[in-house]
Amino acid sequence: MSGNPKTVLLVEDNAVNRDMLIRRLTRAGHTVIAAEDGEEALSKMRQEHPAVVLMDMNLPVKDGWTASREASADPALADIPIVALTAHAMDHDREQALAAGCVDYATKPIDFPELLAKIDKWLGQR
Amino acid sequence: MQLRPRLSLRARLYLFSVAIFTLFAINVGTHLWGSFARNESLVAYRDAVSAAQLTADLEQSLENQRQQVLVLATLRETTEDPLGNDELNTAIDDLEAISTRLRRLGALGIEGTEDYYRRLHESASDLLDLWRRFYNSYNNEGPVPNVDTPTRYNDAQQRLRELDQRQAYLAVQRSNAIDRTIALTDRITVLGFIASIAITTLLVVLLLRSTNASLLRLKIGAERFGSGDLSHRINEQLDAGEIAELARTFNEMSGKLEQAIEEVRAAKADADNANAAKSMFLANVSHELRTPLNAIIGYSEMLQDELGDGAEIDRAQFTHDLSTIIFSGRQLLSLINDILDLSKIETGKMQVSLSVFNPGDLVAQVCDTLSPLLGQHHNTLVLEIDRDSLYDIESDAGKLQQIITNLFSNACKFTDSGTITVSAQIRDEILDIGVSDTGIGMSEAQQAKVFEAFIQADASTSQNYGGTGLGLAIVREFCEMLGGDIVLESTPGAGSRFSVRLPAVPVSDRAVA
Repeated sequence: MSGNPKTVLLVEDNAVNRDMLIRRLTRAGHTVIAAEDGEEALSKMRQEHPAVVLMDMNLPVKDGWTASREASADPALADIPIVALTAHAMDHDREQALAAGCVDYATKPIDFPELLAKIDKWLGQR
Repeated sequence: MQLRPRLSLRARLYLFSVAIFTLFAINVGTHLWGSFARNESLVAYRDAVSAAQLTADLEQSLENQRQQVLVLATLRETTEDPLGNDELNTAIDDLEAISTRLRRLGALGIEGTEDYYRRLHESASDLLDLWRRFYNSYNNEGPVPNVDTPTRYNDAQQRLRELDQRQAYLAVQRSNAIDRTIALTDRITVLGFIASIAITTLLVVLLLRSTNASLLRLKIGAERFGSGDLSHRINEQLDAGEIAELARTFNEMSGKLEQAIEEVRAAKADADNANAAKSMFLANVSHELRTPLNAIIGYSEMLQDELGDGAEIDRAQFTHDLSTIIFSGRQLLSLINDILDLSKIETGKMQVSLSVFNPGDLVAQVCDTLSPLLGQHHNTLVLEIDRDSLYDIESDAGKLQQIITNLFSNACKFTDSGTITVSAQIRDEILDIGVSDTGIGMSEAQQAKVFEAFIQADASTSQNYGGTGLGLAIVREFCEMLGGDIVLESTPGAGSRFSVRLPAVPVSDRAVA
């Protein structure tokens, strides 16, 4: 398997939140690359083959659910775990994300230690 | 089987009663006829008995009188003794008594005996006349009429017997006729009675059966209504009168119930929709509040971490991060205010607070306050306030200020290196405030939804441009509360123009009015 075993792809269109998470994840020792929409996320996944994807669901151009479905349907990308990040906090939002092919789910505002634990868990499984 | 299906219950009962009364009348009639025949027979019997008695009396009296006359005639020839006055009178009276009996026999007037009676009367009158002359001349000198006339006597007796026989014959005949009549009326009475019972029973059965069929239809209908089949209708055509009326009432009732249930269903659907809308509102509120909170908590934790690990602090970066936290905090506050405003509007608790002000001053002041927003996306402001047309109006300055603020911030948000134009003028007592930009604009589909709460032109807009998605919903509600409206014109890629139009009656006119 080619790619970067420690790289985390962060897909987030909101600049404030994106910059904040990049800085915090970098500080925590992760290599972080970023994308601003679903389309860009898919192309970054193909180019960089990151170890974990953190994906916001409300995205311009192509939303997170569509991008996740397409990634899990693509044999080249299906093994990359996608963790959904969303401000939608209802039960059915979680089910919707898991149904779209995400392996995990984190609600905004992000509990950062918990997010790090999730990332470690999915990195460890590779 | 259905007898006269279209008869009303009243008509059925009426017919039933008429039939029963007719039968009763027939029974009474035959009974009266029988009674009359019996009376007739009784009278005939009495007359026959009287006639027989009178005939026997007459026969005996004639016989006695003949004996007496013959004895007296013999005495007169032998002794020539005169009769005493008393004896003579008694004899004359006896003759009178015989005459009277004869008349009474005639007075009975039994039909069919008239000729016999007349012949008897002639013969007997001759005889009595002879005897009367005999008595009247008895005490006189000279001869007396010859009373030894067996032919005359026998003739009278013969006619008396013939009358008697005739009477007996007629009595028997009449009695037979009457017996036959009595037997006939008795049979008719019995048959009438039996027929009455049979017909009454038949009528009762028919009445019950037809009424039962009608009631059964009502019962089946009521049961189907009861089991919830409200589209069922009882066939009103099969009945008339009260039962059809009842069926119609049942049908109307079920129709009304159906309508009522439909209304309840609609009301429930409305309530469900309102409930769903409320849930959706809550989910949206939760979503909107979490986005700025994510930045606030995330940046704060990050700064805390950076301070904690003792590395050198980049002051410029630190200040920028703090302003990001403050910006997000303010965004959160305005979001909460918008939600409260919208909630107040929706529950009808938002009130209009009137004051007198010059709209031109207000527009200029708001634009001045908001001018820092222009710098964010390198926009320029053009103010077109037509001072000459503007005068003091009475309206809600706070709400108008919020309307302009929301439109101004939107224009700044969606425009990059462009021009924001704010205009104000009064034409024909209508205040027109326009906010236009040269920004990204909106398609027609986006324009159609832009005034709905939590809707931004695109789901991604709030992430790209911030904002609550509530601003335009509040603006439209405020415009309507102030008695005006808001119009949007927009071209994708070219920009948008919002025109707020509010009534602007001059304050001086108002005071006069």
